[in-house]
Amino acid sequence: MGKIVGIDLGTTYSLVAYMDAATNEPKCIVGPYGSALCPSVVSVDADGTIVTGEAARRRLLTQSERTIYSVKRLMGRSVEDIQSELKIFPFRIDPTSSNVIRVQLGDKVFTPPEISAFILRELKSWAEDFFHETVDRAVITVPAYFNDAQRQATKDAGRIAGLEVLRLVNEPTAAALAYGLHKQKRGKVAVYDFGGGTFDISILKLISTDEGDIYQVLSTNGDTHLGGDDIDNALLALARAEIQKQFSVDLSAHPEHIQELRKALIRAKHDLSSAAKTSIQVALPDGLIYSREISLREFDELIKPIVARTMEPVRKALADAKLAAKDMDEVVLVGGSTRIPLVRKTVGDYFGRAPHCELNPDEVVALGAAVQADILDSGVKTMLLLDVTPLSLGIETMGGVVAKIIPRNSTIPASAQEMFTTGVENQTAIDLHVLQGERELAKDCRSLARFQLKVPPGPAGLARVEVKFLIDANGILQVAARDLRTGQEHSIEVQPSYGLNDTEVERMLEESIEFAEQDFSERQLIEARNEADTILKATERTLQREDLSQLSREERGTIDESVIKLRAAVAGTDYKEVRAQIDKLNEATTHLAELVMNGALQTALQGKRLDEV
Amino acid sequence: MSVTQTSTNAAPGTKCWSCGKIAGGHFCSACGKIQPLPRGTSYFEFFALPEKLQIDPEALEQQFHKLSWKLHPDNFMRADEFERNLSLERSSELNDAYRALRDPLTRVEYLLAHKGMRKEGAAKQQAPPELLEEVFELNESLDELRDARAAGEDLAALRARLESAEQDFQEKLEAVDAELDQVRTEWDAVIEAAEADRAKLLTRMNEILNRRSYIRNLVAGVAKELADA
Repeated sequence: MGKIVGIDLGTTYSLVAYMDAATNEPKCIVGPYGSALCPSVVSVDADGTIVTGEAARRRLLTQSERTIYSVKRLMGRSVEDIQSELKIFPFRIDPTSSNVIRVQLGDKVFTPPEISAFILRELKSWAEDFFHETVDRAVITVPAYFNDAQRQATKDAGRIAGLEVLRLVNEPTAAALAYGLHKQKRGKVAVYDFGGGTFDISILKLISTDEGDIYQVLSTNGDTHLGGDDIDNALLALARAEIQKQFSVDLSAHPEHIQELRKALIRAKHDLSSAAKTSIQVALPDGLIYSREISLREFDELIKPIVARTMEPVRKALADAKLAAKDMDEVVLVGGSTRIPLVRKTVGDYFGRAPHCELNPDEVVALGAAVQADILDSGVKTMLLLDVTPLSLGIETMGGVVAKIIPRNSTIPASAQEMFTTGVENQTAIDLHVLQGERELAKDCRSLARFQLKVPPGPAGLARVEVKFLIDANGILQVAARDLRTGQEHSIEVQPSYGLNDTEVERMLEESIEFAEQDFSERQLIEARNEADTILKATERTLQREDLSQLSREERGTIDESVIKLRAAVAGTDYKEVRAQIDKLNEATTHLAELVMNGALQTALQGKRLDEV
Repeated sequence: MSVTQTSTNAAPGTKCWSCGKIAGGHFCSACGKIQPLPRGTSYFEFFALPEKLQIDPEALEQQFHKLSWKLHPDNFMRADEFERNLSLERSSELNDAYRALRDPLTRVEYLLAHKGMRKEGAAKQQAPPELLEEVFELNESLDELRDARAAGEDLAALRARLESAEQDFQEKLEAVDAELDQVRTEWDAVIEAAEADRAKLLTRMNEILNRRSYIRNLVAGVAKELADA
């Protein structure tokens, strides 16, 4: 088994972290560009090569048609779901998409889990380069308010990237874990997590018990489509309107200029976290230049409605936890958007206390994921997360009404059992429709799946099938059924309403290996074999050419034996064995190498005058 | 979502699936392995509590945390699938049980459901006979309010009448809660009593809950109309 890591698969940036054994603290891994933040951007070359992270982000400006960002917004969603986003985001959706969105990138088509898998593979390779070891398991974080389909899509992405996803952890909970470790705090904590594309609020209770610390989530709420992206889009809309008015230029036909403008506006947004005003200057088509100053006051005015949208979930979460804002002992800010002064002020005013932001809001979620990964891997439990399901689970009943069977904010794992029977004589199947959401009617809730319970024909009401709905520790639903009359277990065919089935995920896993770099061990094997080749050739050449009179028979025997063993290792597939045999051959040839060096030195010195040396 | 098969529960009071010794409770006392959950285990039994309706919330929470620490799937990541499923089964049952028992009202509802006394939806929506007259008046006032609002008339007088009615029903709700408290105490006192006596108390609790739920809906309805007006 390889190493395990914690991954924050974010809308804008993704990070990978691990538990440092020496300090017993979680740490983020820094990538090849010197930052722990890997832009969640994927680009496809004309020749089909996949480019991810910072390299892909740079292509947003030059090859925007082949490059995608914020793909997290598409995870676990259907084409109808994202119509409003399509007006704002430059997603190119394949028109043949059915229950799973397919995105066009250059001349290739990918599902959102496949695109996310490219980002995960990039992070996996960062970690493998860091550890010099395979990484094959991960804890991945998701927004607390993600529904079943969005969670399943994230898990699929992990699998496609060649990672066993040991657990999905909610982002605010992971943050609380990292924060609690850091501060050794107890009491009631509100985690306000405003990221690039999602908003979560979680109310937790941190408890010390004789066994260890428990992080119990009391309630959670949020909006999976509210984040810094929306602020960027508000700025972009303003700028584009001004450009239209000032120059009569519609940027719709100039995607590269839009990206250039977006980049400048994001920089301005960052500036305004620490300055009262800033300015932007962007080149437009035909040598025109859009230039303007933005004050913090103007920016605050623009984003006020967006920040206000975060407060309704905050009120709902507190109400569900049966607590008031003043009951909170601590308020923790997480996510890049909490750097915005108006956000800090709004949250501080609401809770009547200065929020905590000592920990880097970009890294804290990944750090928490690394802690949980370590607990699951080592089997040494120092703390326990008790999380909740964000949305009520229900089944459709007569007239399209939803009967709630597991209420929102139930601690997970959670389950509910329901009895079903037939309504008419000789009915052989009972149709079930499972949904998630708070609304009364099925049409207003999120459809998770439909399936049929097969029953033997008989009089109406005779069949008695017990269905157990269970939400596991990842927040993902499992269904099992049992015929109470026969005691037999039922096989159920479930067609997920939105999402990939197992066969599709398997196929994508195979395909992704073609696209992405080879797996770490394969890569290591190739490198080790190459190195072995070089050493074997050099050794053979030396043995043939040099005068070996000074080499003992014993030494010669050891070298020959080591050569045979290394050849055998190269024929195998274990890179560690190849490396071990390379070391042995190196050791066996140390004396030989010395002799050669001396000989070479003498040869070189011959025929040269002393002053030339 | 995914589909799994139900694990087969061993009959209650059987031997430990792993070491063969007689096992009871969450773990085998001999070998320490997690045990299947016998079918029909009540939430009270899960927490090793008597079937009483007055429960010390702090003691219950402590017990919940203790059991969470032991039963949570985090502990079974390295175990085989069979044990992982047992952990999932027991830890979900723990959470379901705690959810039902921690709130005094859902606790009564659970007890009644467990005793086969209460079915969702059935009798709830019928007005309790002693309230018929008041409910009739209230509905009339609500109709008038809606008409007046539609016609753009002055709502002040109607508002006052409804607010007073709301207050009235709120008081009734409190009286019902006090009555429920009384029955709860009675129930706990007769925990050893004959089945017939206990059944009577269950019937009374069920009747109180129906009344309570009806009045609560009324109050919520009035509050909504007043907020809209």
